[in-house]
Amino acid sequence: MNLLDDLGTVLASGLRLTAPLAFAACGEYLAERAGTLNISVEAMMLGAAFSSVAVAGATGSVTTGLAAGMLTGALTGLIHGNLAHRLTIDTFVVGLVLNALVLGLTSFLIAGTTFGSRPPQRWPLLLLPGIVLLTWWLVERSRWGLELRAVGESPRAADMTGIRVGLRRRQALLWCGALAGLGGAYLAVGEVGSFNQNMTAGRGYLVIAAVIFGGWRLGRTLVGCAVFGLADALRLALPALGVTLNSQLLIAAPYLLALLAMLLFATRQRRPRALGKPFVRQEP
Amino acid sequence: MSALTLRGITKRYGAVVACEAVDLDVERGEIHGLLGENGAGKSTLMRILLGLETRDAGTILRDGRPVTAGSPREAVALGIGMVHQHFSLVEPLTVWENVILGDTGRIRRSRACAEIHEMSQRYGLPVDPLAVVASLSAGERQRVELIKCLRRDPAVLILDEPTSVLTRAESAELFAVLRRVVRSEGRAVVLISHKLTEITAATDRVTVLRRGRVVFRSATAATDVAELARQMVGREVADAAAIGLIPAAPHAPEKAQGDPALRIRGLTAPGLTGIDLEVRPGEIAGLYGAEGNGQAQLGDVLCGLVTPDAGTIEVGGIPVDLRRPGALHAAGLGIVPEDRHRAAVVPAMSVAANLTMKDLGTRVWLDRRRLRRRARELAAEFGVVAASLDAPLSSLSGGNQQRVVLARELSGDPRVLVLAQPTQGLDVGAAEDLHERLRRCAHDGMAVLLISTEIEEVLGLADRVLVIASGRVAGELRAAEATPEQLGMLVGGGAG
Repeated sequence: MNLLDDLGTVLASGLRLTAPLAFAACGEYLAERAGTLNISVEAMMLGAAFSSVAVAGATGSVTTGLAAGMLTGALTGLIHGNLAHRLTIDTFVVGLVLNALVLGLTSFLIAGTTFGSRPPQRWPLLLLPGIVLLTWWLVERSRWGLELRAVGESPRAADMTGIRVGLRRRQALLWCGALAGLGGAYLAVGEVGSFNQNMTAGRGYLVIAAVIFGGWRLGRTLVGCAVFGLADALRLALPALGVTLNSQLLIAAPYLLALLAMLLFATRQRRPRALGKPFVRQEP
Repeated sequence: MSALTLRGITKRYGAVVACEAVDLDVERGEIHGLLGENGAGKSTLMRILLGLETRDAGTILRDGRPVTAGSPREAVALGIGMVHQHFSLVEPLTVWENVILGDTGRIRRSRACAEIHEMSQRYGLPVDPLAVVASLSAGERQRVELIKCLRRDPAVLILDEPTSVLTRAESAELFAVLRRVVRSEGRAVVLISHKLTEITAATDRVTVLRRGRVVFRSATAATDVAELARQMVGREVADAAAIGLIPAAPHAPEKAQGDPALRIRGLTAPGLTGIDLEVRPGEIAGLYGAEGNGQAQLGDVLCGLVTPDAGTIEVGGIPVDLRRPGALHAAGLGIVPEDRHRAAVVPAMSVAANLTMKDLGTRVWLDRRRLRRRARELAAEFGVVAASLDAPLSSLSGGNQQRVVLARELSGDPRVLVLAQPTQGLDVGAAEDLHERLRRCAHDGMAVLLISTEIEEVLGLADRVLVIASGRVAGELRAAEATPEQLGMLVGGGAG
């Protein structure tokens, strides 16, 4: 009886910890199908977490906070997209810079402010099924998605057919930013109810790991998110259940799991062929 | 009124003239051949037409109206369509998805499939709309390209070297479709090629480009292969294979002797199944087949880029440990790979560095003086024309880059020399030069394996021809007895 209760608690908390990852993974999945690998998911989530708490605190409305988070994420995506797919700066360099910038900026801003803690608001969880379905439909059924996939697999072919490769990738990054922002905002106002320094703590990287774990398929990507979310929940629950384990090891568990997933899946899966490669129209 | 008229089209890249005052008239209902050797300016001209390149001067008229395409999409809107050979289909997508790519509006799968089906029937281009492009043969992909292009209803259809990936049967099928397109639908077709026999067989009129200028125009029926060859190159060419002709009299076979210098047994790798072949000292063995039948994979294995799943390679009778990088080279195998820039040279490094890359010595410090001297000797011996040995390799012409690769590979005195598509992209002079060197290598007792998709090159050089189809060796013939028809049958047999 007690065990069942505990299990239920862990599962519920696992679901709540999966949700931020799952929102962001929907975005990152779509972006990677378009061939753009952005490690700035971390920046999108962290920036959104901060701005959602700030705006929700100021307006008193969780909805406005979430919207602010999505906007912040999309803005990050816009910056990334223009740097990487208009100016063709290496996408990893852009991602690293954005991650460092947002971490520094939010740490700086939090130092001067105090956010009151607010009760968590879990209703945005209900948005998740809709977002998953919409992402699937966009990628697999819409013309936009078909063009995204073409751009991710064979940008030259797409270009010759008259598709604007850079534009599609920038659009994919906007979508990714908005959803990663929703994920980060949910983590802050939905789950925790306040903002701490570096509160996403590498969740953006877990999202990328989940997409790879999922072999660039949406369903499996979400399974990956659930695995990481449950690992996180267990980490929080085990001490309370009286199990004593090395706490550092526990904190590292989701990341170790991600590393393991990489080792097992990263090389075997069929990735979009142009993933992470900038597209520049070639001379003859 | 001509469907397409070009007047005085000029394009320069710095001091290099790609096209100089080119005039061209393409009429409705004709197949117009655009002939020229590599680097003559054919592709530049077409890139200008398609809006992939801007012209420095000149006018383009479509049905008498001046036009300028700023992008391929605008070219389509102007009724100019191009069938690309590479890079224009997205492999993981299905046929119907590829065909509708670039349209606008809602996706309607059943309608797209019906449309493709209808076009298949009309043009005699059988293809399954639901098939994934990656699973299709080269010939089938070409059909998809044609359907995709014809669906946009172009008045002018451009094909750039369309037969390089096709078997003879597939080429014949393509030309039959083109005939139908011009006869019954009144479209104009521009066929770009460097193959003389193709131009004489398939076109109504022909325009010859040489070094960016139009040097000859004629009705195809009023000229012949010899005349076209002379116009294309600007002089008489003795080496028929270099201008894409089958030599009238096969050369006397070299004396192949002794045990095989190269012996491949049961070689299996992605794209290759149980390849067996032997090359003896003093002979040139040709490996012929349509592009994409495993030649690239075999080349990768022989470069040491791919470790095969099964099978052995012996050089001079000694098995080579293929897992060790550089093992084949150390065993005495020189290779001129198909894609120079991917596997043979470092374009940004100097000519000298590229020449001596495989001969750096074993000491910690490089003996720069010795390397320089060696580079100078090799450049002189192989006639490498470069502004300076310190210039980056990328500044050299294709022919000279190929000379650098050949010089380096031969400088180690290999027992075996493997060449994959060695004259692709080379002008006729450079191709002649290369062919002559190969004959001399074989004469001096080297074992030469020539991997080529050009039947003329194989028949012109090889003593023995092996045919590769679908990653297997489909047959072997003595060159003196082989005919294009026989080879064509072996090539098609493996694929079908």
